Amino acid sequence: MPRGDGARIPYRGDIFRGGETGDWIGKEKHLLSAHDSTLANKLHHLAHFLPAQGPIGVFVHHNTLHAFQHLPFEAAVVEAGRLFGAEPYWPEEKFRYALDHGRIRMEDIETVLAAEGRDLDVRRVMLYPGVRRFDATTIRWQREQTDLAMQWRDDLPHAARKRLERQSPAELFAFWLELSPEREAERIRFGRPQEGVLFHCGQDLDAAIHPLLIRLCGAFLDQGMAYWPMPRRSEGFWRAAVDVLGQGFSLNAYEIRDLGRWVKRWKEYDSEQAVQAALVALGVSEAESDDLLLAEMLALPGWAGMMNQLEQNPELAPYEMVPASLMDFLAVRLMLTVAGVSSMLGAPDKWRGTAKPKDMAEEERLVEAATLFDVSQMLGLGTNELSAWTKEERRGFQTSVLEFTELERRRVWQAAYERRHERQVLLPLAQNARARQAAAIKRPAAQVFCCIDDREESLRRHLEEVDREIETFGAAGFFGVVMSYAGIDDATRASLCPVVVTPRHVVTEQPAPGAEETNRQRQTLRRAWSRFAHESLVSSRSLVRGWVGTSVLGVFSIFPLAARVLSPARWGRWMAWLNETVFPEPKTELHFVRGAETAAGNDGMLRGFSMGEKVDMVAGLLSVAGLKENFARVVLVLGHGSTSLNNPHKSAYDCGACGGRRGGPNARLFAAMANLAKVREGLRAKGIVIPADTWFVGGYHDTCHDGVEYFDLEKLPARLSLDFERLRVSLDVARCRSARERTRSFAKSEFDDAENALHHVQERAEHLAEPRPEYGHSTNAVCIVGRRAITKGLFLDRRAFLVSYDAAVDEDGKNLMKLLSAVVPVCGGINLEYYFSTVDNEKYGCGTKLPHNLAALVGVMNGNEGDLRTGLTWQMVEIHEPVRILFVIEASRERVKSIMMENPLLREFLVNRWIRLAVVDREAGERIWMFRGEERWEEIQGSDESLPVTASSYDWYRGRAGHLPVARIESERKVSA
Amino acid sequence: MPMILVGMVAAPGLLLLLMCAHWLTVGGMGENQIRRSMAVVATIGSLLALVLGWGLFEDGEIRSGVMHWIAVGSYHFELELVVDRVSWPLVMLTNVLVALVAAFSIRYMHKERGFFCFFAWITLFWFGALLAFTASSIDLLLGGWELVGVSSVLLIGFFDERLDPVRNANRVFATYRLADLGLLIGIFALHSFAGTGSLDAMGELSGAGATVVALLLLMAASGKSAQGPFLGWLPRAMEGPTPSSALFYGAISVHLGAYLLLRAQPAIEASLLAKVAVISVGLGTALVATLVHRASADAKSSLAYASMAQIGIIFAEIGLGLPTLALLHMTGHAAMRTLQFLRAPSMLYDHHHLRAAAGGSLTPTGTHYEWLLPQRVRAWLYRVAIERGFYDAIVDRWILYPVLKMARWCEGFEPGNTHGAKFEIAPQGVERTQLEEVQG
Repeated sequence: MPRGDGARIPYRGDIFRGGETGDWIGKEKHLLSAHDSTLANKLHHLAHFLPAQGPIGVFVHHNTLHAFQHLPFEAAVVEAGRLFGAEPYWPEEKFRYALDHGRIRMEDIETVLAAEGRDLDVRRVMLYPGVRRFDATTIRWQREQTDLAMQWRDDLPHAARKRLERQSPAELFAFWLELSPEREAERIRFGRPQEGVLFHCGQDLDAAIHPLLIRLCGAFLDQGMAYWPMPRRSEGFWRAAVDVLGQGFSLNAYEIRDLGRWVKRWKEYDSEQAVQAALVALGVSEAESDDLLLAEMLALPGWAGMMNQLEQNPELAPYEMVPASLMDFLAVRLMLTVAGVSSMLGAPDKWRGTAKPKDMAEEERLVEAATLFDVSQMLGLGTNELSAWTKEERRGFQTSVLEFTELERRRVWQAAYERRHERQVLLPLAQNARARQAAAIKRPAAQVFCCIDDREESLRRHLEEVDREIETFGAAGFFGVVMSYAGIDDATRASLCPVVVTPRHVVTEQPAPGAEETNRQRQTLRRAWSRFAHESLVSSRSLVRGWVGTSVLGVFSIFPLAARVLSPARWGRWMAWLNETVFPEPKTELHFVRGAETAAGNDGMLRGFSMGEKVDMVAGLLSVAGLKENFARVVLVLGHGSTSLNNPHKSAYDCGACGGRRGGPNARLFAAMANLAKVREGLRAKGIVIPADTWFVGGYHDTCHDGVEYFDLEKLPARLSLDFERLRVSLDVARCRSARERTRSFAKSEFDDAENALHHVQERAEHLAEPRPEYGHSTNAVCIVGRRAITKGLFLDRRAFLVSYDAAVDEDGKNLMKLLSAVVPVCGGINLEYYFSTVDNEKYGCGTKLPHNLAALVGVMNGNEGDLRTGLTWQMVEIHEPVRILFVIEASRERVKSIMMENPLLREFLVNRWIRLAVVDREAGERIWMFRGEERWEEIQGSDESLPVTASSYDWYRGRAGHLPVARIESERKVSA
Repeated sequence: MPMILVGMVAAPGLLLLLMCAHWLTVGGMGENQIRRSMAVVATIGSLLALVLGWGLFEDGEIRSGVMHWIAVGSYHFELELVVDRVSWPLVMLTNVLVALVAAFSIRYMHKERGFFCFFAWITLFWFGALLAFTASSIDLLLGGWELVGVSSVLLIGFFDERLDPVRNANRVFATYRLADLGLLIGIFALHSFAGTGSLDAMGELSGAGATVVALLLLMAASGKSAQGPFLGWLPRAMEGPTPSSALFYGAISVHLGAYLLLRAQPAIEASLLAKVAVISVGLGTALVATLVHRASADAKSSLAYASMAQIGIIFAEIGLGLPTLALLHMTGHAAMRTLQFLRAPSMLYDHHHLRAAAGGSLTPTGTHYEWLLPQRVRAWLYRVAIERGFYDAIVDRWILYPVLKMARWCEGFEPGNTHGAKFEIAPQGVERTQLEEVQG
């Protein structure tokens, strides 16, 4: 956007004005040395504003506004909104709708305004009934053609209407119009060449250069889509692009017809010199270059961001290493820009200038007057009263109204929205503390460790409803196992741990003894199939082979098309059967036993874990969760992931704690480690006593079709088969019910039968056309760190991350520190990603999925030439409530505060209000305290939210749509429904 | 049997009228209603088409009754539907593919703002395509042809809250209009040379008549099928939702041009010039499209150019006098491309699985260029490929800008304007109402 400040800044280009055919190169070289060589540094800093999303095959949730994390939330969203042209909060209409439907209450608005303590009456009334939105382009028409200034509003409060009786609206309007000062329109200066060209000759330079630039970027970053890889790709983007663009016998687009000249001039430079030369040619001084470079990068943020990501982390490229460089990208972009400006305007520095906006001064006055008119009528202030006011009082009133801009109003709405959410969660939680009974210390029938994921909340709840004697725990989905893993069918290793951790250990899945032959056959067949499939894929699009293929075989495509579209579940089952028959899977085992000596492979990675490391990993998980004794006979560890078809964003549904991948292998490895006798010995030394008859089982829960797979069951001791059977049956019932609860959000007709609901979600995972296979972390709002006892039996509507933590076994707070340093960034990142993609799905998110086109196998874009889209799709966030995540930690206030303040990242999150924090103080009678900044804690008390009691989850959600309040489930007997 | 033909073609038309009536009275149909009506009509349509196919075993063609529309002197305009062994596969294909793509879209477009619009336009297309395939006279074919064109443009600009889809829809529409000049003038030519608009009259043409008609119809067919001078619009059409891309540009709409040429085949046979023109347009496009496809790094462009190449070959087959082969090729190609387009987003994970199954790396493609071509030629060819044959540059510079310049010059005659505007012409011009005075 053009900026204000019309002052003309002298620039280096001054010295060679005049004479387009002057000797540029000589003068350029002189200036090149004068420019700082810190261009690379500059770029490195500016690159922080680019999206940090890597190739889409592995999706990691993070704070979309990570570059602004050092600012307080309210300032950051406004700053970022200004820079990116995005919305900071939901629009007022949505908040007003929430108020009308009870999601926000007037008392929330009152409390928020009272806390800020200024202009309460004015502000309250501007929020509700709410001041209307006026804008300069339509205000004249509104005033002349509608009864805007002729009548009072319909929705005035009764008292105000009474006071305004017999007064004239037109007079009031005229009164305020008189008082609005005159103003001068500021000249705006062009910040980018595109703006200058646009306003000089009406031509959008971006529309001219983006198609070419996007195709070049796509061809360069391509990971295997294009048949013909870009020539000279290994030399970098700049070299490859210059090579392509410098070819003779070619026709440039009209808007960049001078391109050949510039390519010839600069093709011997490297990219940094080219950027500097471009800056000189554009007449941009050192001081202005930052702004210009940032603006140019942000014109195509997706592609620039991808180039940057692959430069910083080259290992993110899934299949082909590409020497990406942001400097190269900028060089190509600026070269195209320079060519564009020189073609359209004659010389590349002619774009500079200022423009005077159309004279809207009168309209702006009208808008101000209309706003003041609105507010004074809502307060019941007519001309009679106002004329009695002094000049200062009137001016004060004007200031307070005009200061409370739409942005400010939305900020207050957001605060009220979140406050109501706080109370909706914390008050019932506090009441639950009083209502719950002490758990009977009996040996549980089974124990289940799930991921902290909010989707697992419903599975855990239903499991505990189905079988009261099953205990569940929540731990981050990688279960403490940090490894680089290669499954038996994987060709490369993948890190199954949070992205901030780098694994040093390698674990591979190998065929079990006796199954090597099966495996060898399978792999041979798979290789043959892969060759065949790849060949047919490539040939179906080539000329001659495609001709033969389509004529002869093409018509048979109708059958898979019809089957997949009309009966996807059956097709899925048939394919699974085919897989089983043709490529039978061998039994496998994990290789991870490493002796005491380090066995480093030739890539510097250690093979497997030593006994000490194993003990540490298992102990770490179990002690943090507070499970040191009273183990059940069967302990199930469930990793999770997701399945869906035709979905480039599939990885966004996988386990975030495993770096956007499936956590099955971690669960399997954990269980295998915990079953080793030597490990149990070591654990005993640490105070964790696992009885000899306890067995750990690893499993995988698919959150899309709610399927559960168990690993290494043949190792389960026979004496435990009954116990395991009980767990399996309960889990089957629980997942059916959990599936039924999920179907509520799909707006499908109600499923009374839970089995039908399970079939429905299975079909969704197999359906080619399903844009919403599941809802992922949508609706996430809370993260509760504490014992299961404080949340057991509470219906949390799949909105809470549940982390098991027992402060009683954590004397020095080390467990909590480890836990929070992992959980806060992950859950906070997920929540903020969802917040920003909900609030502005077009700028921060990637819009609707429907027009998405897979580009270069690294991302999606709209249509055939668009920017690479980052963030979440509309279909993933449409039911999400944009609230910042509320951490509820069951520990003492002092400990929590000191941990948060010591860790710089946590401190930034907390102090700058990117997350909300509450503490349940177990010692002090389970009271709940909310962190309000600095040293203040506010106790949450009140009766505005109750804790309803219901017989089962199903009774609570049946027949109801939308978000449901927290309820307590109390069933005296096992529920059969 | 004739009634079945009329019924099959009229069914989607009636559905469309029903949808419009709903929209005018109650504001649209709900998702479930649309699903049920589409399912019913699609099943009925496919069954009727099957019955027609069985009927074709005995007779070579089935005609519906003739309705005389206009008769002026010796010119007769009649409305009649006919299905024969050439058009039946395409009719069957249309019904089946529309049914499948509609079933896909019911799920895919769920909760979209434009759900009703989408299905209204798909039904419009369906009706238009059936009309075009079963028209016995070229005048009626024009009706179906235009309906297909309109619905395709409406669906490209489906996401009208963004600028790019609308911009691209405009360009595609302009291309269609220009190409359809060929069809319009071809209709006059056919009437003039053969005395009737019936498609059977193609066989009676000879000499100059055959050449003129064939070349004009080639122009129209090239426009619809993105061949020859009109090959640049196809990637622009990928702005619409994926199912519409599949149905139109993988399956039916893009083969409509080839169908027209199939009908014009007797005229092409009778004229050497036309034959050469058709074959060269077809093969030329096939070669250029394959080249561009090779460098395409995104899924939909890659499929679009691959389609274009195959249709080029279909054109060449028609030119060479192999209509049965062309028909077989068309139907197979349409079915396959539809599936590929619908599954385009899966390419990411498909590729991953292929690589994993192959043990980490796939046979690299495109390496034969290294030893086949010298480096300079290779680099130049790559530039041609990535600039998509310089198509947009050529069109902008030598067609668009001159026309706009002339329009600007004509504007100078308006009161208050002067000739010789000092600004550059902007085909992608943006409103400049917000700023008044610009200073350097």
